[in-house]
Order: sequence, then C-alpha cells, then structure tokens
Amino acid sequence: MADALLQLENVRAGYGEAVVLDGVSLTVPQGGSLAVLGRNGVGKTTLLLTIMGFVDLMQGSVSFRGQDISRLAPHRRARAGLGWVPQERDIFASLTVEENLTATARAGRWNLDGVYSLFPRLRERRSNMGNQLSGGEQQMLAIARTLMTNPSILILDEPLEGLAPIIVEELIAKIGAMASEEGMALVLVEQHAEVALGLTEQAIVIERGVVAHAARSADLLNDQATLDRYVGLNLVEN
Amino acid sequence: MIGNLAIVLFDGLAFGMLLFVLSVGLSVTLGLMNFVNLAHGAFAMLGGYATVVATRELGLPFLWSLPVAFIVAALVSVAFERTLFRRLYRAGELNQVLFTIGLVFVAAASAAYVFGTAQQPIELPEFLRGVTEFAGFRFGSYRIFLIVVALVITGLLVLGLEYTRFGAQVRAAVDNQRAAQGLGIDVDSVFAMTFALGSGLAGLGGALAIEMVGLDPSFGFHYLVYMMIVVSVGGLGSIAGSFVAASLLGVADVAGKYFVPELGAFMIYLVMVVILFMRPQGLIGKR
Repeated sequence: MADALLQLENVRAGYGEAVVLDGVSLTVPQGGSLAVLGRNGVGKTTLLLTIMGFVDLMQGSVSFRGQDISRLAPHRRARAGLGWVPQERDIFASLTVEENLTATARAGRWNLDGVYSLFPRLRERRSNMGNQLSGGEQQMLAIARTLMTNPSILILDEPLEGLAPIIVEELIAKIGAMASEEGMALVLVEQHAEVALGLTEQAIVIERGVVAHAARSADLLNDQATLDRYVGLNLVEN
Repeated sequence: MIGNLAIVLFDGLAFGMLLFVLSVGLSVTLGLMNFVNLAHGAFAMLGGYATVVATRELGLPFLWSLPVAFIVAALVSVAFERTLFRRLYRAGELNQVLFTIGLVFVAAASAAYVFGTAQQPIELPEFLRGVTEFAGFRFGSYRIFLIVVALVITGLLVLGLEYTRFGAQVRAAVDNQRAAQGLGIDVDSVFAMTFALGSGLAGLGGALAIEMVGLDPSFGFHYLVYMMIVVSVGGLGSIAGSFVAASLLGVADVAGKYFVPELGAFMIYLVMVVILFMRPQGLIGKR
C-alpha cells in the first residue's frame, strides 16, 4: 500500500524462546486509525512493544513511512514519529508535570499551551511531581507527554484502564477529537471493545498471537457473534 | 580552645569538600545508574597523575591543570564505559565489583610502573600557598580554595541536574529507562555523558587531593574506602546527601585525630556505623 504510514508484515516476535506473536500483519494509512482488540494476554501489548522496538523481532518487518525500521533503536523510532503511550503510564516520578512534558518535547504543532488547553488540569498541576497525580491525571499527562513529541501516529495502550467513568468519558472525547480533527493516526489497544471501535476506522482482533479477525470498526461493532467469540464480556459489561 | 575548634572545623570542612568532589560522581553512577564502579578511585588517581604530568612535564600552571585532570579522567572513563562497563550493566553486582576492583589493581600497577611508588610532589602558585589571616585566625589558603571550588561544583551540579533539560532527561532515564527510550531519549548517550561527568569530577578531586593528602599508586584503593563511606552515609544518588555526608565525615575525621588522638583514624568509621544504624538508607537516600 503506497500511503501506508505504519505497516507490519508477517511479524513474529517474543521474549527469548517464548514466541508471543506469530505472523501478524497490519497496516495503518496516513491519518488512519486501528483498534487492536483481544482478551488479556493474547499479545496486544507485545504488539505495541514490537512496533516500538522493545521486543525481539524474530521474523517479518516493521515499516514506517515506507522505511524498514525493524532494526532501529526505540529512541530513534520515537524520534521518527511513533508516539507511544505506555500501558503503565510510566510517568517520570522525579520530574514535575511540566518537566515530564518538556524533557522529551520536539518542535511542532503541539506545545505546552496546546496540551494545557487540551488538559487544563495539567496546567493546575504543573509544579507537582509526577508521583503526586491521580490515575486520571497520570493518563492525561502520559498522553500529553507523547503529544509534545509531535508524533505522526499515536499508539495508546489501554488508556482507559482503571479510570473513573467520568474521566473515561473526557478522555474518549479528547482522543476522538484528536483522531478526527487533527488527522492524527491512531493505534488503540483497549479492553472496552465498544469504545475502541467507536474511535477507530479499522479493527483487528488478536487471538493466540495471530490476527484472528480484521474488519471495519463500524461493521465489527454490529457483529455481536464475533465480538463474543474473541473479546468476551467487555461489550456487555460497559 | 575556641580557636582550635574553629581551625578544626575549617580543616575538617576542607577535607570534607575534597571527599565530596572525589565521591559525588560515584554517588551519581551508583545511585542513578545502579552500576557499582569501584574503579572510581582509579579515575581519581588518573586525574591526579594527569595534573602531575601537566604541571611538571608540560609546564602548565596548576589552575590550568585542573580542567586537564577533569577532561582526561572523563575521556578515559567514557572509553571504558563504551567498551567494557556497559556490558556489565545487567551482569549483577558481584560481576561489576570483581571487574572494577580488578581495574583498580591494574591502575595501581600501571601507575607504579610509569611513575614509581613515591609520593608525587606538586608546585602550587604563590596565592595558594601559606595562610590567610581572618578575624585573628590563620586559615590555610589552599583549604579556602578547596572549599570555594567544591561549593561552585555543588552549585553547578544542582543547577545542571535540577534546572536543565539534560538534567531532566537524566532523571527521566533513571526513573524509567524504557519509557525514556520510547519517548526519544538516547538513554545510552545520556548515561555515558553522566558517567563521564562523574569520573571527570573524580579526576578533578584527585588533582585537588595531591596537595592535601598526597598521590601515590595506592590512591585508588585508599580513597575508594572514603568514597564508599561518603556515598553510603549520604544516600545513593543524592548530591545534597553526599555534600552533607562529606562535610560531616571530614569534620569528624579531623576532630577525631585532633581531640581524641587515641581513636585517631577510627573516628570516621565510628560516625559511619552510628549514622547507618540510625538511617540505613543514608542521610538523604531514597532507598
């Protein structure tokens, strides 16, 4: 595909002897968005870590803007424009909120003013240390910190996990606005299938290390049988 | 008596400042990067010999030989870091200890081979010799100089680590290496630069130490003990902790030798044992 932004071909990856992903292919076009669904432990986080270069790639390739980045160090992938927001948020505890935002910032559309108007609460907490934030604030900071690197694709790993419903709604709205208004490409790993499908154009379901199902998000949202089969209770629960 | 006390405090503080410059780099590499670098003392010794060569062989003035000592120790240490130490980051503490203490043996043997086992004298400029009179007390000029240098270094370190983007990147890389890389920080380079800075300071400390405590091939071993005490009493990775601990230990050492000569050099260990009993994580240590 000519206009592919991020492309994985036949990726086999894992930790040492343990193969977690075995033959995963996917494509995210410029400005496109992809939901990655699946039960716990099927390799969704490993997939994102493989894209970022933290996991041993045993076979296949990862390319970004048409360049093969399979052998590139993680920090070079980040600088190339991959905007990863880790699952554990990984806020730097000994940095203030503002230092968390500026320490890794790169010039571009997003700056301090931009992320502060996106998440006004961060402006109020700007001098707090990274370890003095609530879970919701940490997630906002994690997203804002990645935006400050001005990535061309945002890679979110379960951004709504463990957050209060009201924060979840706020974040959903902001992530949705970013994808539709800013034209930011998006890869979203999420347990809440309904939310993830509502925010994205395309979706894949991972099962035992392979892509078990791929569909347009809108179609999958109406395909209750497939969702039940691969994703389980999450749709009903929410 | 009061006069003696003032002089003992002053001399102790000066010795403490020397310990601080020697140790603060070790506190950074041990506390921030979790690398047990016992060769830190060898880098200090290297700085000392660099100053000896620079002043005696190359005819540089003493003050100009100090940056030379810093740069030589920093460059050599970064060469070791790139080629050898980095292989040991994940190797476990015992391997790190064995390898780096081995380096101290090699450094001591090399120094003895090149320079001989004698103490190395050094020529100081006029204004650093003798004493300066103040309020009726006579303070050693060199000791005043030592205290000023250490205070400037402390200020620069705190500024650099707390208020610059590079400092924030160092702290970020220490907090969470993977997240730092995933956001575009070149953690390897950041650590290499931090390591070079720490070793450079050790080299500077080694150069400053010659006038006060002398320099011979056993320096790397001898002062390693003091460095370890400062770092453990001060708390790993804490610049402020190293500063307080070094001051305290310097004063305790000089006061012990002066007021309780029977205890002599044992005083410094006594202070260490008492402090670590009360605060096992060190004075300002985080863990």
